[in-house]
Amino acid sequence: MTPLSFYLALSAIMFVIGCVGAIVRRNAIVVFMCIELMLNAVNLSFVAFSHSVGNLDGQIAVFFVMVVAAAEAAVGLAIILGLFRTTKSVETSAANEMRL
Amino acid sequence: MNLLFIIFAAIVVVSALGVVLLRNPVHSALALVSNLVGVAAIYAMLNAHFLAVVQIIVYAGAIVVLVLFVLMLLNMKVEALKRHEKIFYTTVMLVAVAFCAAILPILHQFFGEFNPAASLTIASGAAASGAAALPRVEGTVEAIGKVLFTRYLFLFEAASILIMAALVGAVMLSHRVSNANGSSVNSGPSTDPSTTVRS
Repeated sequence: MTPLSFYLALSAIMFVIGCVGAIVRRNAIVVFMCIELMLNAVNLSFVAFSHSVGNLDGQIAVFFVMVVAAAEAAVGLAIILGLFRTTKSVETSAANEMRL
Repeated sequence: MNLLFIIFAAIVVVSALGVVLLRNPVHSALALVSNLVGVAAIYAMLNAHFLAVVQIIVYAGAIVVLVLFVLMLLNMKVEALKRHEKIFYTTVMLVAVAFCAAILPILHQFFGEFNPAASLTIASGAAASGAAALPRVEGTVEAIGKVLFTRYLFLFEAASILIMAALVGAVMLSHRVSNANGSSVNSGPSTDPSTTVRS
């Protein structure tokens, strides 16, 4: 039986790695993947608490986070595609003006 | 401590580092797949079977494939490291390591002895022993479905509307804008000039 703190520590490490990636990387798609990493870290701590407290509501929250992540993936990748069409680049520094 | 947890935690951490550190975005996406599968295994260890399966189907199946499609459409170069960014990178890494070093002992201190059954009985003033364990939750499809379609029915329907809106938005955003002279790029067979939409 693994104690709760180990799951939370894993979740924290994963979140920090994703956060560093979102700050450091310049490719917009990799930044997007790092955001997915952070969402997964939060999901992991939701499930760990749900298991520890004996309540199913945490897993429902994870389900809704997954729904929102899927919606975000569709819209975000479409935005990256549009960015590439207008600027011929997917670097985050290329998105520095709001007009198309 | 469980041996399986150590194995899957190692997979998760190493592949998460791979997502961040690998230069080629396709390699990052593949590292993301192994990370998501490792997280799904940990969900299964925590009795969240439904979420483990959904994690593999939705994340590793749908989202990463979508990312790979976009990567192949864009055909980008491997990111090159610029010289003046080295000091920025080292600063960020140092801050991250310091944050981890600060938060991990706190987590262990607060949740190492975390026993919700004991804290609940104390809160309710009952003199029952802490060994009176809480009901063990099994995140099966049946259990999740019962809660999802009774207590969270409204949120479930709202989520379906959100997915629909995202679908329409993605189609609108990735739709090619017609040219300035009025000839739509992907207008298809509608060559009749009277029906062509001019923007």
